Amino acid sequence: MLAQLFNSTTIPVLEQVAGFAQDRHQVLAGNLANIDTPGYRTRDLPPELFEASLKKALRARDQNNQPAAPGGYRRPSNPLAEVRGDVKSMVRHDENNTGFEAQITEIAKNQMTHSLAMSVLVNQFQLLGAAISERA
Amino acid sequence: MISALDISASGLTAQRTRLTAIANNIANISTTHDESGAPEAYQPRFSVFETDDAVRGPHGAVGVRVASVEIADVEPRWRYQPYHPDAVQEGERKGYVAYPNISVMTEFTDALEATRAYEANLGVIDVTKEMVQQTLRILA
Repeated sequence: MLAQLFNSTTIPVLEQVAGFAQDRHQVLAGNLANIDTPGYRTRDLPPELFEASLKKALRARDQNNQPAAPGGYRRPSNPLAEVRGDVKSMVRHDENNTGFEAQITEIAKNQMTHSLAMSVLVNQFQLLGAAISERA
Repeated sequence: MISALDISASGLTAQRTRLTAIANNIANISTTHDESGAPEAYQPRFSVFETDDAVRGPHGAVGVRVASVEIADVEPRWRYQPYHPDAVQEGERKGYVAYPNISVMTEFTDALEATRAYEANLGVIDVTKEMVQQTLRILA
């Protein structure tokens, strides 16, 4: 009964988005902490992969009328292969390729995504609360 | 989520250690003998960073630590000061004093870089705190 209640809202989806943003934030924090570590290569959880897998999960939910179980984003099996194809960054003479500005921008973008998901999530809960108590 | 704080804190510690080494170098820019009093130019120190697997988050997030503080082996700057107590007494360098070969320019740019990296980690800590608070606000 509760599962149906939540499935009629976007709460499960927002939960996944917020969770992903939090995980990604930790990886990005690690990138900045290692900005001067020789040989360190930038790590990331690509949001594109997450969005694609979330979209797929949502489509499956809509088709089967099943409870949503999205998420399931995976790290690329070979992170170095990803790094090599990354033209946004340049390997410096200490073999580190962390771009300062790019990382800051990613952290800011990620924070906004998280903030958006959280705001809507709080709103959804308030709406549910209003429906249950029959007053806004 | 909390491990993001630990990761950023490891960055703060590492950058502060680096800054300490730089301060050390600049303070000893004219030191001409060692602790025992034997004439020896102070050799500049520098820190080496490595990823710290003890501080980690999910999906490959790692912190940083100072692997070692190395002592650079550089040729001293020779200055002719025959009446200096640390002057070489005999040989072809007679009358010369070995001064540390420390480049103030390099040390200052390094210090600037360390400071900026420190600030960046502080910024990430602020972002982390805000994200955690926002999450907790769901309950309120």
